[in-house]
Amino acid sequence: MDNRWASLRHFLLRWSGVALFLVLWEIGPRLEWIDPYFVPPFSTIVVEIGRLLTENYLGIHILVSVWRALTGLLIALAVGIPLGIALGRVYPRIAEAISPILRVLSQVNPFSLLPVFVLFFGIGETAKLVVVGWVSLWPILFYTITATRDVDPVQEKSAASMGISSWDMILKVILPAALPTIFVGIRIGATITFYILIAAEMLGASAGLGYLVHNAAMNYQIPRIYAGATFIVIFGYLLNRLLLYLEKLLFAWREDTSSTITATSKGVAPSWRPGRGSVYAAGVALFIVIIFGGIEVQKVNQEAASVDPGSHSRHFGTPVDAGSGN
Amino acid sequence: MKPTIILLHKIIAIILFLALWELLPRTGLLNPLFIPPLSGVVTSLRDLHASGELVMHTRISLVRAYIGLLAAVSVGLPLGLLLGGWFPRIQTATEPLMELFAQANPVILAHIIIFFLGIGESAKTFIIAWLCVWPITFSTITGIRSVDSSLLKAARSLGLGRWQLFIRVVLPSAAPSIFTGLRLAAGYAFIMLVASEMMGGSNGIGWLIVQSQESYNVTRIFAGATVITFLAVATDSLIKLVEKRVVVWDAHVSEDYLKLKPMAGENL
Repeated sequence: MDNRWASLRHFLLRWSGVALFLVLWEIGPRLEWIDPYFVPPFSTIVVEIGRLLTENYLGIHILVSVWRALTGLLIALAVGIPLGIALGRVYPRIAEAISPILRVLSQVNPFSLLPVFVLFFGIGETAKLVVVGWVSLWPILFYTITATRDVDPVQEKSAASMGISSWDMILKVILPAALPTIFVGIRIGATITFYILIAAEMLGASAGLGYLVHNAAMNYQIPRIYAGATFIVIFGYLLNRLLLYLEKLLFAWREDTSSTITATSKGVAPSWRPGRGSVYAAGVALFIVIIFGGIEVQKVNQEAASVDPGSHSRHFGTPVDAGSGN
Repeated sequence: MKPTIILLHKIIAIILFLALWELLPRTGLLNPLFIPPLSGVVTSLRDLHASGELVMHTRISLVRAYIGLLAAVSVGLPLGLLLGGWFPRIQTATEPLMELFAQANPVILAHIIIFFLGIGESAKTFIIAWLCVWPITFSTITGIRSVDSSLLKAARSLGLGRWQLFIRVVLPSAAPSIFTGLRLAAGYAFIMLVASEMMGGSNGIGWLIVQSQESYNVTRIFAGATVITFLAVATDSLIKLVEKRVVVWDAHVSEDYLKLKPMAGENL
C-alpha cells in the first residue's frame, strides 16, 4: 500500500510539469498574455484533434505516414543487417578499411540529398522511401557491425568446437547474441526516420502527417497546425516509448539492454516472453499494414493527382510563399 | 595488424571510393545525371569558389550553425547541471515535458516560430538551437547522475567544499557524457541548418542547394552537399579532438558519431 502511494506520488510529480505547461497553454491565450490568434488555447487544439479524428481525416494521414516509415525501415533492415553481418563477421578488414568512408557517408545530410531524390524520382513514394531508408540505414548498419563483431568469444568457440556449420554459426549464435544491440540501432533508426519523414512530407507530398501540418500552414488554419504538431509530438513520444518497452521486453535476459539512464527505468519484469506464435502474429500484422497501407497510399496519390495535377509539385515554399503564391 | 597497415588500407579504400565515384558515372554504369562524377563536382566547387559564392555561403552557414549550437550549449549545459545536480525533484517533474519538447519536430515548429520571429536570422537560429538544446541537457543530466557516489563521499570526507566538489569531481566525471551530447547536437545543428535555409532566406549552403534544384543543376547540389558533409565531419572531429585533450582519463572517446549512445528520452 505504501509502495503504491509512493509510486502514485512519483507519477504525479513526474507529469506535473506537463500538466502545468498545458494549464499555461490554456489560460495564457484566454487571458490574452499571448495573442490567441497565433497561439490558440489548448482546448481549441483538443477540439480540432477530435474533429480531425471523427472526420476520419487524420486516420488516412497516419496510415500513409506509418506505411512510409515502416516500408523505408524494412528496406533499411533488408540492406543494413546482411551488409552489417558481412562487414562485421566475414570481412572485418574491409569494414576497418572503409570505416572513414562510412563515417562520412553517414553524416551526409538527408535534406541536402532530398532535392536530388525529388529531381529523379519525382515527388512520388520512391523519393520518400529512399530518404527514409537512407536515414535509417546508417544506425542499423553501424550497430550491426559493432554487435556482430563483439559477440562473446566463449560462445563462439564452444559452438565451433561442437562442429557447428558456418551458416548455423551466423543464424544460431551470432545473430541472437547481436540482436539486442542491433535493436538499439533499429530504435534509433526508427525515431530518426519518423523525424525526417515528417520533414520530407512537408517538402513535397499529397498526404501524411507532415503534409497535414504543411497544408494547414499554407491555408492559415492555425488551430490545425497546432493540432497536427501536437499529434505528431504525441505519436513520436509513444513510438519511442513503445520501442524502449519492446527492447526491454524482448531482451530482458540481457543485463544492460537499454543505454538510457532514467530515474524511472527500473526495467520491466519479463512476465511475458515472446513465443513463436506472437512473433508470427506480429509478422502478419506488419504484412497487413504494409499491403493495405500500400493500396491506400496508391489510392490517396491517385486522388491527389486526379483532383488537381501539379498543385503539389513544389512545396519548398513557406507560409510566406503561401501568402503570395497560392 | 600494425596501425600503419590499417591506415594504408583506409587510404586505399578512400582512393578506391573516389575513383569509383569518378568512373561509374563516366562509364555510364550510374546515370551521370543522377550522380555526377567527382571531377564535375570539383569543377563546380572551383567555379563557386572563383565567383566568391562558396566562401560567402559557407561562412554564413557556418556562423548560423555555430551560433545555434552556442545558444544551445549556453542554455542546455546550465539547465542540465541545475536539474541534474541541485534540483532532482524539479528534474523528475520536467522530464516528460522535456521529452515531449524534444519530440517537437523543428520543421513543424518552424511554421509556428515564423508567426513570432518571421523568417529572418533569429528564426533560423532558434530552430537550430531548439533541436540542439535537448541532447546537451539530457546528456548533462545523465552525466551528473552517473557520478560515482563513492568518489563524492571520498572527496567530501577529504574536506572539499561544495564548489570545489563541483569543479574537481562532478564536472570531470560528467565530462564524457556532456561531450557525447555536444557531438550529437553538432550533428543535428548541420541537419537543421540545411532544413532551415531551405525554408526561406537568400543565402547559405541550404539555399544554394534549393537554388540548384530549381535550375536542375545536380552537380551543384552535390557540391553543396559535399560542403555541408565536410563541415559536419570537421566539427565532429574538432569536438572529438577537444574531448581527447580534456577527458584524458577515459579511453572510450573515439567512437563513431552514429554509435554515440542516445540519451534518455532523446530522439533523432
